[in-house]
Amino acid sequence: MPKSSYFKILPVLILIGLTVFGCKKGEEPIANVIKIGTAGPMTGDQSAFGQDQQNGVKLAVEEWNLKGGVLGKKIELVVGDDQHDPKQAVSVANKMVNDGVAGMVGHFNSSCSLPASRIYNEQKIPMITHGSTNPQLTEQNFKGIFRICGRDDQQGKKAAEFVINDLKAKSVAILHDKTTYGQGLADEFRKGVEGEVKVTYHGGLTQGDKDFSAVLTNVKTGNPDLIFFGGIYPEGGLIVKQSRALGIKAPLMSGDGVIGDEFLNIAAADAEGTYATFAPDISKIPSAAGFVRTYTKKHGKPGPYSVYAYVAANILLQGIKDANSTDGGKISEAIHKIKYDGTLGTIEFDEKGDVKLSPYVIWQVKGGKWEQITK
Amino acid sequence: MFLQQLINGLTVGSVYALIALGYTMVYGILGLINFAHGEIYMIGAYLGVIFFGIFTLMGLTASNLPLSIILTFILSIVYSSAYGYTIEKIAYRPLRHAPRLSPLITALGVSIFLQNYVMLSQGAKDKVFPSILSGGFTIGNATVSNLQIFIMMTSVVLMIILNLFITRTKLGTAMRATAQDKKMASLLGINVDKVISATFIIGSGLAAAGGMMIAMHYGLINFYMGYVAGLKAFTAAVLGGIGSIRGAMLGGIVLGLVESFGAGYISSEYKDVFAFGILILVLVFKPSGLLGENLQEKV
Repeated sequence: MPKSSYFKILPVLILIGLTVFGCKKGEEPIANVIKIGTAGPMTGDQSAFGQDQQNGVKLAVEEWNLKGGVLGKKIELVVGDDQHDPKQAVSVANKMVNDGVAGMVGHFNSSCSLPASRIYNEQKIPMITHGSTNPQLTEQNFKGIFRICGRDDQQGKKAAEFVINDLKAKSVAILHDKTTYGQGLADEFRKGVEGEVKVTYHGGLTQGDKDFSAVLTNVKTGNPDLIFFGGIYPEGGLIVKQSRALGIKAPLMSGDGVIGDEFLNIAAADAEGTYATFAPDISKIPSAAGFVRTYTKKHGKPGPYSVYAYVAANILLQGIKDANSTDGGKISEAIHKIKYDGTLGTIEFDEKGDVKLSPYVIWQVKGGKWEQITK
Repeated sequence: MFLQQLINGLTVGSVYALIALGYTMVYGILGLINFAHGEIYMIGAYLGVIFFGIFTLMGLTASNLPLSIILTFILSIVYSSAYGYTIEKIAYRPLRHAPRLSPLITALGVSIFLQNYVMLSQGAKDKVFPSILSGGFTIGNATVSNLQIFIMMTSVVLMIILNLFITRTKLGTAMRATAQDKKMASLLGINVDKVISATFIIGSGLAAAGGMMIAMHYGLINFYMGYVAGLKAFTAAVLGGIGSIRGAMLGGIVLGLVESFGAGYISSEYKDVFAFGILILVLVFKPSGLLGENLQEKV
């Protein structure tokens, strides 16, 4: 495990860090670097998303540093682990403020981004999330909060349209994990299908739980054509697995939280046929080919959100460069004006900080792999 | 639906019961709540994945699945028992005559240590246990998987063996004697330290068996799974009357059923509320637990 070796050398690194710091102290001011932060679930059951994020941001920072950094200074990355816990996210945010970061990439989970965004906003630190899709985040009227992913009202609507028009399902059961993201997405989906499709069951389950047989037994009684789940892959994978064990044949549909290989590992053969809404496949976007190549060389196959973290970091650094300052207010203004042409095509933000144009498409597990099935 | 929820509840309940036994046995003898017990359950699950992985690499799972399952069980039970024995020796024995709070704090420390130890050595990501013993059958409109039957049967068999051991063997009798009065037992020539070690070994073995079966059932394990499971099993032990072995068995089953029926018939969002709510009710109306009479004997 690379993780364990990392921890083994950590004390050594700290010692070296102290020595270097001690030597240089008298000679030059420490403010010779510009710090940016990134925070997400780096450890715990959702760490796959956190690691993808960290690798994506790291890659962007390395590339900028090779080109000489930003504003003539080297960029230093500060990584925070919120363990997808809102309480932890707040303390990570406070730590980031104390560390004096110029801007943030993240957090990942909506439940973490929401409370953290208030702290960044107070300190006028710009924040670009690469994965928090809950609509509320950009509805708070904060100047410096951006997202480069879509919103759950778009995502839930897309999923609902697909269920009504393409799958022609007559009934659905809706489950969610009671988090800001999961419950929000489930509610948006329900809004979309209401009146058209019968909802046989709507209920929550506890994140981190492993046994969903009780709630799935209820789902089974309603005999739905489809199960919709608002949540992340650890629970999503177990739900599809346990529903098959209970003899439920209905396919699962979920949001961007289940996209990625971890879901396939957990659900194994039962994953087959699962639908999800997510952004278009980056392997089919010509401008992303370079990113995929470099990323694969350094960190292996990119996760679903690696590229978003990478682009978010690039936009943040571009914003710092355009603003020609590390003042948060000025960076936010610059990011609002940006028309960023890069890996994911052209990205612009509207006045709320949402990305203009965020097309969701439908993906499905086919032959043990996630595949984009609609345009 | 009723039948299905009953089966779901019995499956989870029998695993709770297995873990609860370890809590209750240690409490019965030492008056100590061994908070590290949940971590032994987690370690048992990890060892299960590791040994099963080794057998798969050796090709044994492909050629003889039942044998590899049995060997996995035996090896990880033995290994986890060694963990239990070591924990007692290192963390609790030096504090045998210290105030009651000290071993309790050590127990929490051991628990935190083991969690982080497994996180660092095995990684923070979830580990996947391969699906084995798939398939099942239907009774009425309820689906029962072979694995659920396997879990219930194994738990019952282990509990019967434990019961026979406690009531019929010399060491079991010594255990009961030590639980009643440690000093008197040692005056009568019982090696109390040895009895305590045996208690930890047996309790850890049962928890490891539970951990492995849960790993097989859900197919997903992580380093902090012992926390909630330990808390639930502790609840089961208190529910049945801590210190009472039959109480722990009953408490586990009752807790599993309450959770399952509560989640099924009332609301899945409050599954844990039912589990801990019933604990509060029992503590208010029958503080010694459902079968907790033998606590009086101790005093």
